[in-house]
Amino acid sequence: MNGIEHALEYWYPIAMHNELSNGQTRRARLLEKELLLSGGANDSLTVTCNERPLALQSAFDHWWVTLSENPLPLFTIPEADEAERRFVPCGVVRVACSPLRAVENFLDIAHFPFVHTDVLGAEPHTEVYKYDVKIDESKDEVIASNIRFYQPQAAKSAEGGIETEYIYRVPAPMVAILYKTCPQKADAMDVIALFVQPLDEQTCDVWPWMALYDDTSTMADLIQFQQLIFLQDRSILENQIPRKLPLDPGLEIPTRADLTSISYRRWLKKRGAYYGALENC
Amino acid sequence: MSFTLHNYVLSGNCYKIRLMASLLNVTYESIAVDFHPGQEHKSEPLLQLNPAGTLPVLTTTDGTVLTETQAMLVWLAQQHDPSNSWWPVHSKPQITRVVQWLGFASRLTATVGELRLHSMLNKPVNVTAVKTGAKVVLRELESHLTEQRINNLQWLTGDTPTVADIACFPYTALSPDAGIEHDDYPAIRRWLHRLRSLPGFITMPGIYELHELRKPDGYTVSDATL
Amino acid sequence: MTTQPVGLSIDLAPQQVMRAIDGQYDMAVWRSTSGVVSAWENRCPHRGMRLSYGFVRGESLACAYHGWHYSCEGYCHYIPAHPELTPPKTVRPVLYSVVEQSGLIWVNTEQDAMPVALPDDLQPVRSLVIECDLATAVQALDTRQPHGGVESLSDTPKIITFETGGISQGAVVAIQQSQPNRLIVHMLVQSAVTAKDKIALSRLIESVRRQAESACNEAT
Repeated sequence: MNGIEHALEYWYPIAMHNELSNGQTRRARLLEKELLLSGGANDSLTVTCNERPLALQSAFDHWWVTLSENPLPLFTIPEADEAERRFVPCGVVRVACSPLRAVENFLDIAHFPFVHTDVLGAEPHTEVYKYDVKIDESKDEVIASNIRFYQPQAAKSAEGGIETEYIYRVPAPMVAILYKTCPQKADAMDVIALFVQPLDEQTCDVWPWMALYDDTSTMADLIQFQQLIFLQDRSILENQIPRKLPLDPGLEIPTRADLTSISYRRWLKKRGAYYGALENC
Repeated sequence: MSFTLHNYVLSGNCYKIRLMASLLNVTYESIAVDFHPGQEHKSEPLLQLNPAGTLPVLTTTDGTVLTETQAMLVWLAQQHDPSNSWWPVHSKPQITRVVQWLGFASRLTATVGELRLHSMLNKPVNVTAVKTGAKVVLRELESHLTEQRINNLQWLTGDTPTVADIACFPYTALSPDAGIEHDDYPAIRRWLHRLRSLPGFITMPGIYELHELRKPDGYTVSDATL
Repeated sequence: MTTQPVGLSIDLAPQQVMRAIDGQYDMAVWRSTSGVVSAWENRCPHRGMRLSYGFVRGESLACAYHGWHYSCEGYCHYIPAHPELTPPKTVRPVLYSVVEQSGLIWVNTEQDAMPVALPDDLQPVRSLVIECDLATAVQALDTRQPHGGVESLSDTPKIITFETGGISQGAVVAIQQSQPNRLIVHMLVQSAVTAKDKIALSRLIESVRRQAESACNEAT
């Protein structure tokens, strides 16, 4: 039981828009299958697996591909339609970890003072206050809300420390979306998402994407702020053992601060999303 | 502002300059270059500044453009280290050793640095060649630091750190990003720890601060055991 | 399982952590501020992070991921996300037996560590990794002996005395079999030796490594 049949039903990010020029090709891996990407005219793309063309769709500045004939619908991010936001695809980073561990780390705030020191957290502000987690039955998503955390530099546009509010959505096993206090616009929240392309159960390519209110920073500054954060996480992710995510409590001991992670693991188990998870757990 | 730096957050070579500037307490203007995914360092405006298409690029206030990282370290120390310890001009034998290790630093970039770009950003490289090269280079550094320790010397070229230590530090420290742990290199581990303890030390992704040095307010380590 | 030498004492200063691998055992070995050495399962019970990436504060080892603090006895006593919480005693990695003797750190993953008795007054030269099997490494050491083969002080772990041309006292070489083709050779020498002679020994053992690894590569 490694859950590959279940994993095959989803859409996965495979390239950024305009990444491949007309005639340019690139190889890629998805769920242990070898793919060939070919750029076409007018920023189009085709993706084949063993010369079979795959279904593609465009969303959130990325191309999404599925290996299924009958895939689940792609999740939505309503904020992607708000024209006044700046949309920032941040490229791709390879990580030698389970795709599920990459998502779970993104849902975790207790590590901020130690891994993102003086940026997303700093001692002595380490306490994680009580927050709420639920499964949204209509959308079948994990939702964590009412999360508050003190952050020395919450975003590129932040000047000085602020108490930041976080909301998390997990709309698919390998996607996590974060809504956080926008330093520049009091009534809005910035959106930061992690789209994970599973190469196999222990390797993934991670495509961070942001939809922000920030009219001062350059694009390069925004991308580098996100890369700074994610690459700090990378050395953690590559050193968690076992590499695959244990779904049952017992092997790893959670606390109240891990409520989102606990719900995520239960939600994965309930839907049979075992790809990247520890067997017999 | 004493200079302008075309900078990329994940580059070990850019970090050398950020680190040296911080250790010397020098301020500068940083211009973020979208190395990944934008490939901006290969764009026409950047190629006009530096035809080699590499980062970092350092431009001094009088308009001099430096494109070689090791030369930037020397320039920074010459301009901003009145003690002349980071670029030890008063010791001919030591400065020869410093130049030797500045050259060695380029071999670290060409091996560990390339393997890291492959592991992280999927850069096409000859994996076997850079892996073998990385091991050769790290073993050489380990042996040298072992001999320094036997001679009671703490740093690469003597008993104080120089630009050579800064030049060799980032890609050595970042080797776990490339899948090469520091387990096999005890002398390197001690030297990395010592460098991370310097006043003014700053981090980059993959190189953490020494949390053991931080004295968090309102919290004291309990020595009481359970 | 026997007691294995996993490192030289001088290579683990106070407030430092290293990783040691012994067969399937992955360990975090660390020294507290006051000097106490511990060897633990290299995995934080919270979220599986390798503790060898952690940091030492006072008499505690803290995990790099969420800063959970563990005392020298292995019990978690501080969880930064819940500063008021007293963690349950079940939050504890597996502890292994560790002893420091003759300038070496000795670990046993199954029972009490029983170091091999070595000559007094040993001084460290260095530890170095040789990527080959034990027999090939011992053979390479043999060829460097002016009077024939090496003399064994112990077979498990393999510890040999090593005659060193021009240097009056012999060296001791303790070999940790970390993994089938990964040996860690800890070299020590009697204290009267000069720094120059220690460096000569360090270069000699590197030369032995080149010979052993090249013999091993030819064989495969």
